[in-house]
Amino acid sequence: MNAPLAHAEPLVAPGESARSIDARISRVPLDFPHPVLWWLGFAAAFAVVMVMLTAITWVFVRGVGIWGINIPVAWGFAITNFVWWIGIGHAGTFISAILLLLHQHWRTSINRLTEAMTLFAVACAAMFPLLHLGRPQYFYWLLPYPDTMGLWPQWRSPLVWDVFAVSTYGIVSLVFWYLGLVPDLATMRDRAGPAWKRRLYGVFALGWRGAAQHWRHYERVYLILAGLATPLVVSVHSIVGMDFAVAILPGWHSTIFPPYFVAGAIFSGFAMVLTIVIPLRALYGFKGYVTDRHLELMAKVLMVTGWIVAYGYFSEFFTAWISGEEFDRFMVINRATGPYWATFWTLITCNVIVPQALWWRRLRRSASGLFVVSLLVNVGMWVERYVIVVTSLHRDFLPSSWGMFNGTKWDWALFIGTLGFFSALLFLFVRVLPALSMTELKRFVVTGEETE
Amino acid sequence: MPPPFPHPLLRRDDEFAPGSESWPEGMSRRRFLELMAASLALAGLGACNRPPDGTIVPYVVPPDREMLEDALYYATAMPWDGYARGVLARSHSGRPTKLEGNAVHPDSLGATDALTQAAVLALYDPDRSRAPRRGGQVASWARFEDEWLGVHRDLLSRHGRGLALLTEPTTSPTELRCIHALLDRLPAARWFQHTALARFDRDGRQDDYDFGRADVVLAVEADFLFDHPSSLRYARAFASRRRVEGGRVNANRLYVIEASPSVTGSMADHRLAASPAHARRLLAALGDLLDGNKPSPALAHEERRVLAALARDLQGKAPNVVCVAGESCDDAVRDWCAARNARLGAACVTHHALPAIRSDADPRSAGDLGAAVQAMQAGGIDTLVVVGANPAYTAPADLEFARAMARVARRIHLGSHVDETAALCPWHLPEAHFLEAWSDLRAYDGTASIVQPLIAPLYGSRTAAEFIGFLAAPAGRNGYDLVRETWQHHGGADFEAAWVRWLNTGVVDGTTASRSKPTAPAKAPDLRAGASSSGVMLTIRPDPTVRDGRWANNAWLQELPKQNSQLVWDNAVFVSPTLAATLQIENGDVVQLSVAANGRSPISGRTEPARSAGSTNPNEGPTVEGPAWIALGQADDCVTVSLGYGRTAAGRVGNAVGFDAYPLRQSASPWAREGVTVRKLGRRHALVSTQTHFAMEGRDIVRVALASDPAGTAGRPPETPPSLYPPVEYPEYRWGMLIDLGACIGCKACVAACQAENNIPVVGKEQVGLGREMHWIRVDRYHSTKPGEPPVLHQPVPCMQCENAPCELVCPVAATVHSSEGLNDMVYNRCVGTRYCSNNCPYKVRRFNFLDFRAPADSPVNLQKNPEVTVRARGVMEKCTYCVQRINAGRITAEKANRRIRDGDVRTACQQACPTEAIVFGDLNDPAARVVARKAEPTHYALLEELNTRPRTTYLARTTNPALAGANRGDAA
Repeated sequence: MNAPLAHAEPLVAPGESARSIDARISRVPLDFPHPVLWWLGFAAAFAVVMVMLTAITWVFVRGVGIWGINIPVAWGFAITNFVWWIGIGHAGTFISAILLLLHQHWRTSINRLTEAMTLFAVACAAMFPLLHLGRPQYFYWLLPYPDTMGLWPQWRSPLVWDVFAVSTYGIVSLVFWYLGLVPDLATMRDRAGPAWKRRLYGVFALGWRGAAQHWRHYERVYLILAGLATPLVVSVHSIVGMDFAVAILPGWHSTIFPPYFVAGAIFSGFAMVLTIVIPLRALYGFKGYVTDRHLELMAKVLMVTGWIVAYGYFSEFFTAWISGEEFDRFMVINRATGPYWATFWTLITCNVIVPQALWWRRLRRSASGLFVVSLLVNVGMWVERYVIVVTSLHRDFLPSSWGMFNGTKWDWALFIGTLGFFSALLFLFVRVLPALSMTELKRFVVTGEETE
Repeated sequence: MPPPFPHPLLRRDDEFAPGSESWPEGMSRRRFLELMAASLALAGLGACNRPPDGTIVPYVVPPDREMLEDALYYATAMPWDGYARGVLARSHSGRPTKLEGNAVHPDSLGATDALTQAAVLALYDPDRSRAPRRGGQVASWARFEDEWLGVHRDLLSRHGRGLALLTEPTTSPTELRCIHALLDRLPAARWFQHTALARFDRDGRQDDYDFGRADVVLAVEADFLFDHPSSLRYARAFASRRRVEGGRVNANRLYVIEASPSVTGSMADHRLAASPAHARRLLAALGDLLDGNKPSPALAHEERRVLAALARDLQGKAPNVVCVAGESCDDAVRDWCAARNARLGAACVTHHALPAIRSDADPRSAGDLGAAVQAMQAGGIDTLVVVGANPAYTAPADLEFARAMARVARRIHLGSHVDETAALCPWHLPEAHFLEAWSDLRAYDGTASIVQPLIAPLYGSRTAAEFIGFLAAPAGRNGYDLVRETWQHHGGADFEAAWVRWLNTGVVDGTTASRSKPTAPAKAPDLRAGASSSGVMLTIRPDPTVRDGRWANNAWLQELPKQNSQLVWDNAVFVSPTLAATLQIENGDVVQLSVAANGRSPISGRTEPARSAGSTNPNEGPTVEGPAWIALGQADDCVTVSLGYGRTAAGRVGNAVGFDAYPLRQSASPWAREGVTVRKLGRRHALVSTQTHFAMEGRDIVRVALASDPAGTAGRPPETPPSLYPPVEYPEYRWGMLIDLGACIGCKACVAACQAENNIPVVGKEQVGLGREMHWIRVDRYHSTKPGEPPVLHQPVPCMQCENAPCELVCPVAATVHSSEGLNDMVYNRCVGTRYCSNNCPYKVRRFNFLDFRAPADSPVNLQKNPEVTVRARGVMEKCTYCVQRINAGRITAEKANRRIRDGDVRTACQQACPTEAIVFGDLNDPAARVVARKAEPTHYALLEELNTRPRTTYLARTTNPALAGANRGDAA
C-alpha cells in the first residue's frame, strides 16, 4: 500500500501514534470497557434474536401462510428484507475493495467495521430466500448437484443466479475480511493477557510475525482480493435487481433496475455504516480515527448515491410515461396515489428529500444530524423495496385479481428479529475483535515531517 | 437391584417354584392369552356389518370393459328442489367421486350446476347424522322399530287420527306411492308439505318456456337461467341465441326487470332495477304502451326509453316473444305475464304448460306448513313425523312453528343432519344420501329417472320412501324393492330389460309429460292498484349457493363466490350505491332491517300481526341484523337479503355463518316486505369476496361485440407479436381452449366442477379474505360503465396455458415446464415454493398452498378425492392443468384402439359442467376440431395478447344485442 497522499485534513487525529492506536483499539476487546452498557445492549439484541428464532420455528411448523403473503402479492416481507439486507451488505465491500483500488485512503478507518457489517448483513439476508420457500427443506434443489434423476436448476431463472451471486459474495467478503484481520490478530495475540486468549488469537493470526515477506504476500493477496471483490459489488445487486427486472410485471420489468439497485445498495449500506459508526466512535473513543472528515466523506457518498437512486425513480416514471403503456402508467399512478401512497411518499421523503440536507457542510460534519439522516435513509430504503415488491404485485394486469398485502405479526417478528441478530453479531464483533484496522490506521499517523 | 424376573437360563432349582406358573396379579398367562384371542376374534366380528340385503355377486367376472382401478360411471339423478337433475356419477373403487351431467336427461343435457357438483361432497360430510338418536343419545333403528310397532298399533286402532306427516314436496313416484300407502292404511292421518322455496303452479299446471325460439324475452324477477329446476335446459337454449357462428348470431334480446342483481339479470340487454312495487308500475306502463295508451309520466326517462323499445320489440317480434314472471312475483304479475303471453301469441310458440310434477298441490295433501301449524295448535296431532324438511329453521317467522310443535307429544325426524328440527324431536333418524340409496325422481318436464346407489349407506341411513313405507307397514321394504314395485308395470312385457335400460340411460322412457297451451286470464290485471308503495322495500331470495340453507354445511358451496357478488362464506344485505350513499353505509357495515309491525304486506294489503321472533321489543316488527353489501344493479328503493344463513345446527361448516333472514319472512308474502327501515348500527362485519375490484380500468379485458355486427365491433383481430426465438413445433397434439363470453352466464358450475375433479381444497373465510382461495378457474365479474356495454361482464379465467409462459422462465427448479403438447405442466414434486411463477403470471391463475390445506387424514371427505389427481402438500404451487388426467385417460383409450384422440373424447371438467357450452376444448392440430372452428370466429381474441404470452386459452367476445345504442345501462343508479 502506498504512503498516504497529501490530505487537507489528517485521517488520523494529530497526536495519535502507532502505540496509541494499538492501545486504544485493542483495549476494547481486551479490557472490555463499558461492560454494563455492552451487556445491556447485547442482552436486548439477544432477546430479539429469540424473537427471530421463534418466528423461524413457527414458519417451519406452520408454513409461509403465517405471513401476509397471498395471491397476487406472493412476495412480501421476506423478499423486501432480503433485498434490504443485501443492499446494506454492499457498503463493506464497496469501501474495502473499490475505495482501496481508487486510493481513497479515508476508507481505512472504517473498512474493518463495514466488512463485518457486510458479513452480518449477508447472513441476515441469506436467511430469507431459504425461509420464504414453501418447502424450505428442498432449498438445495437450487444448487447444481449431481441429482440421481439428472435434474438441474433452471438457469433462466434469476433466483438461481441469486444463489451464486449471494454465496460468492458472502464467501469473498468473509475471506477478504479475515485476511485483513490477520496482522491485527497478531497484534491482539501479542497484547492479550491470559494465555488462552493469546493462544486463540494466535491460532487465527496464522503465525503472523510481521516479517517483510509476510507483508509482501499480505498486500499482494489483499489487492488481488480487492480486485476480485470489486465486480461482485456490482454483480450481486445487479442480479438481485434482475430478480425483478426479468419478470414481466409493470414496476419490475425495467432495464434501469441493475444499476439503480447497485446505487441503492451503496446508498443504504453507507447509511447503515453511519448508523453504526456514530455511536461506536462516541462510546469507545474512536473519534481520533473516525474523524468528522470521515463522516463528511461518507455523507457525500450518501448524497451522490441518493441522487442516483432519485434518478432511478425519475427514470421509471419517465419511461412509464413515454412508453404509453397503460399498465406501466397505471403502476406509477397507483404507487403515488393508490392504497400504498403513504409508503411511496415515505420513500420519496427519506431517499430523495432528506439527503438534500447534506448539501450543508455543517450537517455533514454533525454526528447527531448524520445519525438521524442515516436512520431515515435506512427506513426509506426498506420502504423502497417494500414499494417495489408489494405495490407492483398488488395491482397488475387484470383488475379482477387485484388484492392487498399487510404484514402480519410474524412478518414483523422475523424482520425485527434479524435486526436483533445483526446487532447481536455486531456486539460480539466489537467484543472480541478490533473494530478498526490497527494495521492500516498506523500508516496514517500524522508525524511532523509527513504533513505538508 | 436384582431384576424382578430372573432370566430363565439363570433359573435352576427355583424354576418351577410354587406359584411361578401363575401371574402374580391374579391373571394367569393362559387366561391372558384366552382373553387376547377372544378380543382379537371379536374385534374382527365387531368390524362386520349385517350382511347386505341383496344378493352379493362376487367379481368372478369383472364388470364390463373396465378394470377395477378405472372410473365407472352410473346414471342416476340428484334431487334439486325435489326435481331430478340427471347425472352420471363417477365411481373409483366403489367410491362416488364426482357427478357429471347426463346428456340424455332433459334437465341436464350433459351439464350440471354448482350444486350438483357439490352434492358429492355432501355424501362425505363429516357432520352427517350417523346414527338414530333418542333424546340426543345414540340409539338404533331396531329400538325405533320396536317403539314404532306400539305406536303403529295404536294409530291403526284410530285409523291414524293424530298422526301428521310433514314432508318436502317431492317428485319421487315411489315416495309419493309410499305416502299414499300410508294415507290408505291410516286414512285419518294428515300429510303436510313444507318447503321454503315454493314453486308456483297455475291451476295445477306449471309454466315451461322455449327460450331457443324466443326472439324477445321479458323476465320479471325471473332468474330462469340459474334458479329454476330447468335452468340448465333454459341456459342452453338461451345461449344458443347468443353464440356467434360463422361470424353471425341470430341473437335474442333479453329485458329484465328485477330488484337485485341475478344471473339472468347479468345477461340482460336492457335491465331495469326496480323493487317489486316499482316493477308493477313499469309493467303497467308497458301494458299501456302495448295497448296503445299513453303511459303514466311518472317514470324516469331511461325507463320510458327502455319500455318503449320493449313494447316495440314485443309487438314486432310476436309471437316469438315471451314474458316470464319469477317465482317470487305475486299472482297479479304472473297473471299479467300469462295474459300478455296469450295476447302476443307467445303461448303458442314459446310458452307452454306442463302438468304439476311436484307434489305441492297433491290432492291428498292436507296443506302446507301453515295448515300443519294450525292442526298442531288445535291439539289434534299427537304424532308428528318430519321427513327431510327442516321447518324449525325454514318456517316463516309468523307461524311460530317451534311453539306449535311443542304441543305434539311424539315427534320424529328423518334427516341427513341433526339439524334445528332434529333438536326439537326426541327421535332423530338418519336419512340416506341419494348416492347411497334407491329412489326415483322426475324432471321438470316429468321425465322420470331411477336413482341408483353407488355405495352402501355409509351410516345405516334410510331413504324417505323406505322410512314412510315402514311407517305405513312396519314389515318394511327396502328401497330397491319399493322402486321396482313402482315401475313394475311401466316397462311393458320385459320389465327386467327395461329396468336395465333405465339404469343405463338414467331416464325412464315414455315418462315425459306432454306440453299444452297454458291457461291465462282473458285480461291482464291492472297492476296500478297496489303499486303505490313508497319507502324502502325488502326482497328475500334463496341464496345462490346454499339456497334455503340446506347446503349450508357444504364447504365447496360456502367458498364458491356468489354469482351475484363474489362474496363467500356470508350472506349480506344488498343495498344500491345510491341508498348506501344516503345512509352513509359502506361494505361490511352492519345494518338493522326492521319491518314495521303494522306494515302491510306488499300488494296484498293484508295487515300482519305484531310478532316478536328475531326482535327484542315485542311491540316492533321483526328485525334482522346483517352486513351491507353495495351491489351495482340493486334497485334504489329496495334492499335484498338471501336465505340459508345464520344456521345453528347445520354442522361445523355452516353454523354461525352469516345471518338468518327467515325472521323477516311472512307466510303470506314470503318474498317481499314493505315498510322496511334500514338502520346503520355502527358495527362492522368482515365480508369477504374473491374479487375486490370490479372495474376494467379501461383495459382490453372483456371485449363486447354487437350482435348486429359481431365482426365489425369485436375489436382488433388476434395477432401474434414477434419473438426472437424460433416457433416451437407441436407435431402430435396441441391442446387449446376457447371460452365463449357470449354464452357464459356466470353460474360458476365450472368452478365447482374443477374443485370436485381436481381435489381442490377449501381454505375457509379467513384465508379467502387474505387472498388465498384455491380455485383453479375463477369467473371474473366486471362492472362496465361504458355506453354500449352490458353493465355486468363475466369472464371465466383458467390457466391460459401460454406458449410463451412467463411462469416457466422464472422457476429456479424447473417445476413448471412445457409439455410436448403445449401444456404448461406443474410438477408438484419438484416445486420448492418460491412463488415467483405466480408473481410473473399476468393472469394470476396460480394458486399456492400457503398452509396445509388438506383435510385431516381421518376425514371422510378424503373418500371423495379423485385418485387420478395428486393431493397437494403445503408449500406447493398449483394451477389448472387442462385436466391432464382426462387427456391421458383419453390417450390410453385411443392408443388401445390404435387411433388418435378424437375431438370430444377429452372434455375438461369445466367444459363438461358448463350449461351453455361456453367452454370448448380440443386439439388445435385437428382441423376438424370444434375448438378450431370456434377460434376462427371474428369475435375471437386472446387476453393480454400484447404481452406475447401466446395463450392457448382464448375468448370469444361477449355478445350484446341492445335495442337502443348506448342506452342499455338501464340499471345505472
